[in-house]
Amino acid sequence: MKRRLLIMVALIFMLNTIIFAQQPKTQNSKLKIQNAWVRPAAKGANSALYFVIENNSIKTDTLIGAESKIAEEVEVHESFKKDNDRMGMRPAGKLAINPKSEFEFKPGGFHIMLLGVTKDLKIGDKIEVVLLFKNKGKIKIKAEVSDMPITKKMKQ
Amino acid sequence: MKRLSIPFILLLIYGCREKLPVVDDFKNSNYKLINPNNQEVIFPDFVKGKLVVMNYIFTNCPDICPLSTNNMRLIQEQLKKEKIDNVQFVSLSFDPEFDSPEVLRKFAGIRNLDLSNWTFLTGDKSTTDSVIKKVGVLAVPNDSTIFKNGRKIYYYIHTDRIQLIDPEGRIRKNYKGSTINVNEIIADIKSLQ
Ligand SMILES: [Cu+2]
Repeated sequence: MKRRLLIMVALIFMLNTIIFAQQPKTQNSKLKIQNAWVRPAAKGANSALYFVIENNSIKTDTLIGAESKIAEEVEVHESFKKDNDRMGMRPAGKLAINPKSEFEFKPGGFHIMLLGVTKDLKIGDKIEVVLLFKNKGKIKIKAEVSDMPITKKMKQ
Repeated sequence: MKRLSIPFILLLIYGCREKLPVVDDFKNSNYKLINPNNQEVIFPDFVKGKLVVMNYIFTNCPDICPLSTNNMRLIQEQLKKEKIDNVQFVSLSFDPEFDSPEVLRKFAGIRNLDLSNWTFLTGDKSTTDSVIKKVGVLAVPNDSTIFKNGRKIYYYIHTDRIQLIDPEGRIRKNYKGSTINVNEIIADIKSLQ
């Protein structure tokens, strides 16, 4: 009797595990990109794209890259401080986006570097960029050209 | 007597209200640079008699330098609002090999910057190097990106700076270009007026 109960409990656990294991597909739709904006740049020059990644799921996802027709090359970058008053910039590699957290790309920090933009990015224009995540795959985002952060986000 | 005492009193008043020490002085050093219209300008001679707000940039920089440049714009707008004139804005490229007059013209143009009192400058690499050395700005190529077509661009590690220069060509204060407090520099500009 006791043994039967134990098996039952074990079965329920296993079932749970299976259900949860399949959940990422829906959980991952809780990966949201907000407040995307991009700096103005003349054709051929470089620009930087900023946004907030909201990971509302219970799983970590990883930003592995980005692509866009708007630029010759697209890289994930990070500005960094050196000594007291010097700044530099470098490729950022892959970025883990923790569960139930926000990851901000912002001036002076992480940005998607758009190298050699293929047309003038004038203030008010909109561009499309695809972000590549390890689990979620591709997320297409639209970003407005601005020389200041755009905040339209409504906290839910 | 009168002729002597007036400058003396002025000097006293000036000395008392002087909050900003002289950091460095261009003295008689002048540099032959080029503006976006391909014209030669002698810096800082061409801005003598004006307060100068200056930053140091390279246009391949998509993050820190546009931040600094946008802060220059905010300072310019605030000065306009407060009807403070006789201030000149200058942006000098320390990557003149890439930042040709045309590149600088486009950099300013795409941002709709008001160039009525703002000059972008480039020049010979040796000359821009001398200027940044003089003012204490460091710029060293670090990472780079090679494009599919083989084009290579460098990213500099560089001093993130906006600088306030007085009408006599003396550097009076340095600020971090990307994070400058606009109110602070406005107050400093007023104190030098
Ligand atoms: Cu970058």
